[in-house]
Amino acid sequence: MAETVTITIDGQQFQVPKGINLVDAAKMSGTDIPVFCYHPKMDPVGMCRMCLVELGSVVTNRETGEPDVDDNGDPVVRWFPKLQTACTQTVSEGMVVRGATQRVRDARDDILEFILTSHPLDCPICDKGGECPLQNLTMAYGPGESRFVFDDKIRLDKHVPLGDLIYLDRERCIQCARCTRFCDEVVGDDVLAFHERGRRLQIVTISDPPFDTKFSGNTTDICPVGALTTADFRFGARPWELDEVPSICPHCPVGCNISASTRLDRDFGGKKVIKRIMPRQNEHVNEIWICDKGRFGHHHARAEERLTTPLLRRGDEWVAVDWDTAYSEIAGRLKKAGDNVAFLAGNNLSNEDLWELRKLAHRTSNTPRLGVWPAFMTGADAVAQAGVGTGTRLQDMGPDSAILVIASDFEEEAPVWWLQVKQAADRGAKVVVANGRPTKLDRYATEVVHYEYGDAVAVLNSFAARARSKNKIDADFTARVDGAAELEAELKGTRVPFADAAETLLDAEDLVIFAGGEGLTLDQHRELMQAAANLLLLTGHAGKPNNGLVPVWPGANLQGAFDLGFSAETTAALADQPPTVWFIGSADPAAEDAALVQSLANAEFVVVSTQFMTPTAAHANVILPAQSFAEREGTFTNGMRRVQRFYTAQGPVGDTLPEWRIYANIGARLGGDKPRISAALVMRDITQNVPRYAAMAYPALAAVEKQFPDVGGDDLYYGGTAYTNTGGLGIQWPANAEDESARLQVRPVQLDGYQIEGLFAVPVRVLYDRSTLFEQSEMMHTHVPEPFAEINNQDAAHIGIVDGEVIRLNVNGAQHLLTARVNGQAPAGVVLVPQLLSKTPIVIGPAACAIEKIGE
Amino acid sequence: MEHILLRDLDIPDIWQFDTYMANGGYDGLKKAVADHTPDEVIQIVMDSNLRGRGGAGFPTGRKWSFIPKDAEIKYVTVNADESEPGTFKDRQLLEKNPHQVLEGSLITAYAIQATAVYIYCRGEFWDLAHELEVRIEEARAANLLGENILGTDWSCDVHIHLGAGAYICGEESALLNSLQGLLGQPRVRPPFPAQHGGGLYYQPTVVNNVETLANVPWILLNGAEAYRSIGTPESPGPKIFCMSGHVEKPGNYELPLGITFRELIYEHAGGIPNGKELKAILPSGASGPVLVATDEVLDSPLTYESVEALGSTLGSASFILMDEDTDMVWAAAKMNHFFKHESCGKCTPCREGTFWLDRVYERLLRGEGTARDLTILENVPRQMQGVTLCALGDFAANPVLSTVTQFRAEYERYIQSPEPAAASNMPDAAR
Repeated sequence: MAETVTITIDGQQFQVPKGINLVDAAKMSGTDIPVFCYHPKMDPVGMCRMCLVELGSVVTNRETGEPDVDDNGDPVVRWFPKLQTACTQTVSEGMVVRGATQRVRDARDDILEFILTSHPLDCPICDKGGECPLQNLTMAYGPGESRFVFDDKIRLDKHVPLGDLIYLDRERCIQCARCTRFCDEVVGDDVLAFHERGRRLQIVTISDPPFDTKFSGNTTDICPVGALTTADFRFGARPWELDEVPSICPHCPVGCNISASTRLDRDFGGKKVIKRIMPRQNEHVNEIWICDKGRFGHHHARAEERLTTPLLRRGDEWVAVDWDTAYSEIAGRLKKAGDNVAFLAGNNLSNEDLWELRKLAHRTSNTPRLGVWPAFMTGADAVAQAGVGTGTRLQDMGPDSAILVIASDFEEEAPVWWLQVKQAADRGAKVVVANGRPTKLDRYATEVVHYEYGDAVAVLNSFAARARSKNKIDADFTARVDGAAELEAELKGTRVPFADAAETLLDAEDLVIFAGGEGLTLDQHRELMQAAANLLLLTGHAGKPNNGLVPVWPGANLQGAFDLGFSAETTAALADQPPTVWFIGSADPAAEDAALVQSLANAEFVVVSTQFMTPTAAHANVILPAQSFAEREGTFTNGMRRVQRFYTAQGPVGDTLPEWRIYANIGARLGGDKPRISAALVMRDITQNVPRYAAMAYPALAAVEKQFPDVGGDDLYYGGTAYTNTGGLGIQWPANAEDESARLQVRPVQLDGYQIEGLFAVPVRVLYDRSTLFEQSEMMHTHVPEPFAEINNQDAAHIGIVDGEVIRLNVNGAQHLLTARVNGQAPAGVVLVPQLLSKTPIVIGPAACAIEKIGE
Repeated sequence: MEHILLRDLDIPDIWQFDTYMANGGYDGLKKAVADHTPDEVIQIVMDSNLRGRGGAGFPTGRKWSFIPKDAEIKYVTVNADESEPGTFKDRQLLEKNPHQVLEGSLITAYAIQATAVYIYCRGEFWDLAHELEVRIEEARAANLLGENILGTDWSCDVHIHLGAGAYICGEESALLNSLQGLLGQPRVRPPFPAQHGGGLYYQPTVVNNVETLANVPWILLNGAEAYRSIGTPESPGPKIFCMSGHVEKPGNYELPLGITFRELIYEHAGGIPNGKELKAILPSGASGPVLVATDEVLDSPLTYESVEALGSTLGSASFILMDEDTDMVWAAAKMNHFFKHESCGKCTPCREGTFWLDRVYERLLRGEGTARDLTILENVPRQMQGVTLCALGDFAANPVLSTVTQFRAEYERYIQSPEPAAASNMPDAAR
């Protein structure tokens, strides 16, 4: 533990970490100091005045350094004459606090009476009623009746939209500024502010579009009253009707811990349904934040478009069949297909699904083809060696740390990691952002590297070269690394085009590399990941917390797919050697890859398990209706290799089944065992067969421990609404570098860029897209742009097009009408094409293209 | 006696650069720079016991001495956000004797080795601010500010910033926020403006009132001892008294601290018009407690300590006099309304308390007051005092508390029924 100080609270002495906030220290020591404006994740402001305490310090004798004592032998305390706000105090040695005296109680009663004077007291119709800090503290403090004459109350607007996701009730607002401070301090989006002053002080949005941040929903959690509510949940249910079910967000590699608030619902046939998604505290993963995609992207779980029965193609028609019919049809085909079948796993299949899919594949063929989708990133072996150390917490990274984010539009691909890296930068961490174009993280970067697309590997490789020339090689560590000497020799003489960036990274004590896949071919990406591992292993930035490699995989569980034997290279090889039978688990390649559309069309037989009728499913011969993350148990492995459980939140839709059970049932038809009766037992099989997952038994994954700050309790006022983590913190599997007896490998990387003449298109990823699950959240549709392409200003001028104009993009032999964005973001010669803004595949990797102006 | 601060009363053209120069202008700055180290200047001002004229009366030299010597960037901020009701002294100084204020700020800047002086003028002073820009250019042309002042290594520029009409921006930390382009709300202290992280752009900063700075050149020229010979030992020097309300000759009066209320009101300001009796005195605008005009009060000396002993505060010495016909409830309602309007809203007791009191006064003045309202008028200000983020909440409580306790009979006249009125706490629908 860090250095501690001794403080006295209500006569009891406590040892608490030096330099922490008094409210937090009291909390750690089991004393509640009520607050409204203070929040343990933000700087104190001392606004609400609820946390008043008597504050003093022990008087010490200057000569002896010992405390002065009075006649009774008690230490002499010098008290502040006035009450002090605890939230603005940092604990120091000898601090004495009285929080339970009549004087303090009276003062808190007074503050509460003030806060309630103009509060509407509409708790019976307030969404926060039942989980409201103000309600709770009113029960604890404050007078039983108001002396404020009701007719004197100020009347204010009660339904003020702050954007289309969040509503403000101005009467309920108590001006604590938690929401504005969250946006300013935590996120850095200047979107909310105070307007006016005095009793007219009110929250307004100052951005256009309004409340323009990807994290707006968090303000409703930390709002200590019902002033901020989401368009999703407001008037949807009462908190005490809700069952909180621990879950994991299925949308991105961060693996945010979430809580699905469920209840029986009339609109869902009287069955259980998710009414809202809330963050669930996991200080190793998302702390207490989630992005708006995670919060509002759950509607697929009960969407009307969900497929509810197995479907068999009969000519041009779909016929609903029972599961037996579907299984028999598929088993018969798989038996005949032998090696001529390919299995494609989507990016949000659970580990249990993947395991049973793999077992099914092995039953079909001795050398099964197991591909992942999407398949533009690889390098799981580099992750296995130099992946970020277990126990890594981005919130611990500060002035001694450096973070490299390469080839990723980080906020779009992994919003909560973006948030945490941004905050690390605020704390003094050195952040280097390297990509082929500017991204939002640039504004927090110590060094920005804008390389030419195609040069990503060379740039990262040159950082390792700089480590060599600047004597930053960790000789003790490289003693464990095979190939280090050869690699060093190879690096000699390498040009280092971004030397400042390299040295910024190399000078830090801790180094984490986030590697995305933007603008790289699959072959290049393998080299990029190796180059990252090379740099980390040569410099000893591996095998310990807050050091190592984090892949920014596209999707919630690609890590799990790689861990269980699926690969992107296999997918890539399918283009040249297409199978005659496809077995696709919750992936929609037809929406992204035009070449695969052709393969699917040419295939003899296609099986797709899916929740929705996708462009890929349209090619299927049999469609198997799968369950969403809400209807079943399972685990995802996040980008930091943390295996995390999600639990059953609602009953099944129609005849849907979890995919692991579907695959196991088909396997049984092919002579395999009967399916396991639960996901927990599938995981037991995994633990017995996959060494890295040996520790991942469900009970172990469900373990929780006390977290700091302690925001998960009943004391809603301290941290916010619903963060209790009862579902488990998950377990990270250790990278090889963490095992001191393990040998590690580095090798020189291939530096080949790509040479594309003229304009070329680079696919990029955006958070709000039309991916299968997310597009079911209709409330987010206004946030999903029409398909567009970003074009360099000079290129646009040359072609004669302006921002907002509809253009024709010719790429891979197809033509697409897209809206041109000419906003200075695209580098010269590059056309940025966001993925999945429509269901028509445009471009899957860097490709030559042409832009045509459409004549008037 | 010649004026030290309001020199325009002796030399009407003193605002002109040439006139000011012909009358010893900037000699204080020249002397400071030529004869003294920065630390010596601080020591001289400390020895003079000059106390801040903005209201708090904090010793100016000590304030300067808090600036960390190791700080690379330091600022002087001139608080010209003169907004206290009944205060109009800084305006006269800036309009009629502007170079003296500039000189005082530059001496201050030299003493703490600041590189910039920011003059924060209240928004309504826009015309004055435009004039002041010309004065700054005159001083710059004479190498009295700008690069290498008076041939030394020290450079310091002077900037003017206009507020937007909020009283709270006269509070030093709200002023700094406003100057930085942030919402004009006070900051949590510590850190104080003089400390790292507490000042303008979070750099150590001295914030001084206009009148305070106008004293500084004279102190440099004449010495601390000469200054202390004016006024009393604890409250030395001249002070400008702003006289308004029911007074025969309203205006600014520069007089040594230590004269009595009676001398100020009756000898200098001509007494109360129409032969009326003086009923109550606000010695520090709306912010300080009301004093009943008893003989004990009238014969008390005007020093920081003695007014404090009477239960009020000298503050910025803005005297609002109220004659025997004044309705003290109405007056208190006016003052509370002002504070309700000007409360920044950042902290709960001030935001809600002033609003609540305002509603009660409205009801009282409509003739719908109840006995319960009287209790509220006694309780609510006490609930506000001592627990607010800045002093505005304390100020706001003063006029209410001091009138409700000292003029209780007047309040009772407003109360129709001794019982709580029919207006209940139940919502309309539930009645």
